[in-house]
Amino acid sequence: MTFLKGQNPQGGPARRTMIAALVAAATAAALGVYRFTNLMVKHYAPTPYDDLLAHLTDREQAARLGAKVTGAFDARREAATLRAALGSRTFTAAATADIAAGRMTEVDGWVLPQTVVLLSALASRV
Amino acid sequence: MSAFLDARTLPDRTVLTPDLAIIGGGPTGISLALALAHTKLNIVLLESGGMNFDPRVQSLYAGSESGVPYTALEAGRLRFMGGSSNHWGGYCRPLDEIDFEARDWVPHSGWPIGRKHLAPYYPRAQQLVEAGPWVYDDSGAAVTAAKGAALELGKGGLYTSWFQFSKTRDSVLPTYFGHRYEADLKAARNVTSYLHVNVTGIRLAADARRVDRLDLATLEGKHFTVKPRFVVLAAGGMENVRLLLASNDVMTAGVGNQNDLVGRFFADNPIPRDVATLVSFAGPLAQYYGANTTMDNGAIMRAVFSTTRHYCESQRNVGSLTTVEPAAELDEAGKAAVITTALALGVDASNARAYSLGCGMELLPDPDRRLTLTGDKDALGMPRLKLHMTIADEDFALYRRTLAELGRQLLASRAGMLRISYSHRDEWMKAMDWGHHHLGTTRMSADPKSGVVDADGLVHGLGNLYVAGSSTFPTCGASNPTLNLIALTLRLADHLKTVAA
Ligand SMILES: Cc1cc2nc3c(=O)[nH]c(=O)nc-3n(C[C@H](O)[C@H](O)[C@H](O)COP(=O)(O)OP(=O)(O)OC[C@H]3O[C@@H](n4cnc5c(N)ncnc54)[C@H](O)[C@@H]3O)c2cc1C
Repeated sequence: MTFLKGQNPQGGPARRTMIAALVAAATAAALGVYRFTNLMVKHYAPTPYDDLLAHLTDREQAARLGAKVTGAFDARREAATLRAALGSRTFTAAATADIAAGRMTEVDGWVLPQTVVLLSALASRV
Repeated sequence: MSAFLDARTLPDRTVLTPDLAIIGGGPTGISLALALAHTKLNIVLLESGGMNFDPRVQSLYAGSESGVPYTALEAGRLRFMGGSSNHWGGYCRPLDEIDFEARDWVPHSGWPIGRKHLAPYYPRAQQLVEAGPWVYDDSGAAVTAAKGAALELGKGGLYTSWFQFSKTRDSVLPTYFGHRYEADLKAARNVTSYLHVNVTGIRLAADARRVDRLDLATLEGKHFTVKPRFVVLAAGGMENVRLLLASNDVMTAGVGNQNDLVGRFFADNPIPRDVATLVSFAGPLAQYYGANTTMDNGAIMRAVFSTTRHYCESQRNVGSLTTVEPAAELDEAGKAAVITTALALGVDASNARAYSLGCGMELLPDPDRRLTLTGDKDALGMPRLKLHMTIADEDFALYRRTLAELGRQLLASRAGMLRISYSHRDEWMKAMDWGHHHLGTTRMSADPKSGVVDADGLVHGLGNLYVAGSSTFPTCGASNPTLNLIALTLRLADHLKTVAA
């Protein structure tokens, strides 16, 4: 068995250093992509409504829908309504309760649960 | 004598004296003649056209219109043996019980008979329209078991109901009554069908209590008289009006029009297109939603979303039938709505499919939606009709509420969601089409003050003139009329068997 210069049979310090450096570089790159581009996921500036917006799995699509909500929209007031509606419930539970209770709102003709509409409208306005 | 006779070959001034004269050889007239075939009654069936389309005869149907746009009067019906069944769509569905009832939120509603009075006649009507075994909502489960699961709807105002279709002869067309029943009519020894002859007047005796005779004319200028014991006017929902109003020599307002009701309350089923988009989260819907599906037992079925009695009563709404039409595309906002809603409900919508929806609506009765006579005359000297057509904002609003309820129910079952296409009247009007169902113009009522005919179809105040067909429907429901008007006609046949025997 022959060995290249600088290597040793047990994969000694030089190889470990190189792997560690590569991992560090990859992590930094991933963090950069994550933080400074939309390639992996979109980043939003903090808002007073992040507790609510966190319910949205796809905030971008919700904002696109919310942009179709017409009329005056007082974010602070609607956020209070939403907080009351959501309480300790999940978004799904709140939407389901709306449907059962007939609390529906139309957006661009779509018949939607009120909570979905309010949250989408909030997403489009912050 | 039993035959199809070309009236143009009869000697001028011929006088016929049958027991019963049936005016019109459409589904109504033919069903009545068949129901009374092989009885002791001597019957003449008087039909304006021949066995096929003739533009000269068809032009007798031309008229004028005002109000909201509506199909030209000569385009929405056919004037030859078989009548409008020569171009009907074959959609069949019985009226619902509630369609017959007085509903305090529907002005002028309430038939003097209920669905139970028609029930004994539906099986034979179903045979006449050749719609196969009676399935409809009774065995919808069998269809879904055989052809795939139905779209689940949450508890609410709509349910999955079913159309059946007139058996498509030669795999293409629904039953054309004229051609289909020609042999049966010819085989009936007591029925003679006169073709190419037009009834131009219903002449009353001087006391205005009975029909004395009918005036008949051919386009070639011959004139005949029929002096029957009984008359059934079965010339279609528009032409029935024309004959009654034009026969004004004894009753100056027209026969049966002593209360100014003949021609009023005209109705049709509006069928605006593309009324909504339905999204099915799970992917393509079963085939029986968008297309006619033939079952092993021969029934041709199609699913439709219908309103429940409880919904109509609690929401003060009316009937409608919402159909699934071809696939639709979603715009970016639509995709966002679907993604956001599906995620909110925790549903996988990666396979979602969108469909356009169509519908047939019940119109609220309107006395001002009416047929009147004009000064224009046709080739036989008969005054032409004018239709004043209306549709109220309320009609659209009621149906819109039903669509919203359907949308809610789809979400409740997590099966899908819905977008309503139109909000404003002009949007609805742009999408508007009509069922060509001519209804309500000689409405049935126990009280002569609110109807033209009684529960048997007898014109109030007269002893021997009956009106048959959908012009007698006081309210129209959302179901297509032909199966129902045939059941009603078969009931009249039973009545005539008793009174004319
Ligand atoms: C395009 C279209 C599609 C339709 N689709 C459906 C459907 O899918 N389902 C459904 O249930 N219904 C449908 N209909 C309605 C259906 O065709 C009618 O309900 C049915 O034809 C009514 O039958 P009727 O005999 O009362 O009247 P008509 O069919 O109008 O027949 C009247 C007959 O009287 C004759 N006549 C008229 N005036 C005179 C006169 N003065 N003297 C002698 N004879 C006269 C005519 O020539 C005609 O033959 C449709 C109609 C149209 C136009």
